[in-house]
Amino acid sequence: MAENLEKEKWEPKIVAIVCNWCTYAGADLAGISRIQYPPNVRIIRVPCTGRINPFYIVKALQEGADGVLVSGCHPGECHYISGNLVARRKFAALKSFLNYIGIEGDRTIFTWVSASEGDRFAQVIRGVTAKVKALGPAEKMIKQIG
Amino acid sequence: MVENIEIKLRDEAKRLFSEKRVDVIIGYETGTLPLTATPCFITSPEETAKLVFNELCTQNLAKYVHDFITNHKNSQKRVKPEDRKKKVIGVVARGCTTRSLVLHLQERQYDRDEVHIIGVPCEGYLDRKRLEKTLQGEEILDGNVENGQINVRTAAGDKTLSRADLLADNCRACRFNNPVISDIIIGSPAPAMNPDNEYEKINEFEKKSLAERWAHFTKEMGKCIRCYACRQACPSCYCPTCFAEQSQPQWVGIGDDESDTQVFQCMRLFHMVGRCVDCGSCVSVCTTGVDLRNYLKKEEKDCWELFGSRAGSSLEDMPPLGKYDEHDKQDFIYNP
Repeated sequence: MAENLEKEKWEPKIVAIVCNWCTYAGADLAGISRIQYPPNVRIIRVPCTGRINPFYIVKALQEGADGVLVSGCHPGECHYISGNLVARRKFAALKSFLNYIGIEGDRTIFTWVSASEGDRFAQVIRGVTAKVKALGPAEKMIKQIG
Repeated sequence: MVENIEIKLRDEAKRLFSEKRVDVIIGYETGTLPLTATPCFITSPEETAKLVFNELCTQNLAKYVHDFITNHKNSQKRVKPEDRKKKVIGVVARGCTTRSLVLHLQERQYDRDEVHIIGVPCEGYLDRKRLEKTLQGEEILDGNVENGQINVRTAAGDKTLSRADLLADNCRACRFNNPVISDIIIGSPAPAMNPDNEYEKINEFEKKSLAERWAHFTKEMGKCIRCYACRQACPSCYCPTCFAEQSQPQWVGIGDDESDTQVFQCMRLFHMVGRCVDCGSCVSVCTTGVDLRNYLKKEEKDCWELFGSRAGSSLEDMPPLGKYDEHDKQDFIYNP
């Protein structure tokens, strides 16, 4: 991306797709507890991780996101009982498939953060940002504009 | 042997029509080009003489079953519910076709009593692209298959090729070459193929570096002209509106940007997780020879290793992405 051309100043853009009931509340808690975390994530709230179409992830990568983080409730704690369990299967297959076609595994990260884990949310964001930074800007499957 | 199956198949088809058990039978007939077979729709007992079944029959007929039933149901929409009629479709089905039918039934696309499955044991079909390659582009003028030998007449002369050398990749490693479900089976069960090293190529490919894998993906998808023939031929691709044609949201751009083709292929392939029956229809219709099977087989392998599921192998089972298990592996989950 044009604004990221200077490599030293480059900061990754990470799309975080999070579920309304756990991780979004967790992010909220991190905010009201004033825990610092890198400003590289753009949070998208969805009702449940089970609602996430794998296309969202692939499309985010195509549109130039350097990394995609998906986070929901811990297994067994889903607001809709089994949404995250169904999602877990989908993501296991997606992560393996994207790695197989040649996209770095660390560009798509899946994790669980509950509503009471504001600290963990900040930790996850720090970890993910560091991982994506280590990979450098995304270059694969990106749509060239203009 | 093959002739025998065909005679029994025609007799059975004739009997089904005389007993008024089916409205149409979907099978194969001899194609208009030498050494080809093409799907056909048979609606009367006289036409049953057209039916053939041999190693030239490539396409998965479950696709036509689904299309036919969907079209029929759409045409009944304006008919009063009490006057609606079901049509029963007879289908000549080899192993992979029955797996696709199972998949449709699992996904509640139609009822079991709407299809009459005439199961045929299968010993694999010929890879047309490999045949053409072997003949080095010489036009096939005439040909026949006899006793495991393929006799071809081309402008450059006659040639005899071995059937075993020209079998399609998916047939060599086929695990389900006998029908999974059927109402009747024609002939005796076919001998097992060689499924033990079905993932050999995938394991090799997995060991390659990331850059090599990406280079292979871009090279293969660079060939794709997005004619969507793979989608049209695939029995598991039956969405009324495909994401490739959806405009709100527009998932895939329609320009010539290569990332659009990659995303289209990536997502069409990903839709096949736990749904690809490895029938090879997409591979055989691909006009530019994209290596689709490499990716489809990988998904099948993942499905087997992660969820212990093989697409369409049993009517009692559900597609793996439609269910879950509390103890599914989650070593891919990031935990700081």
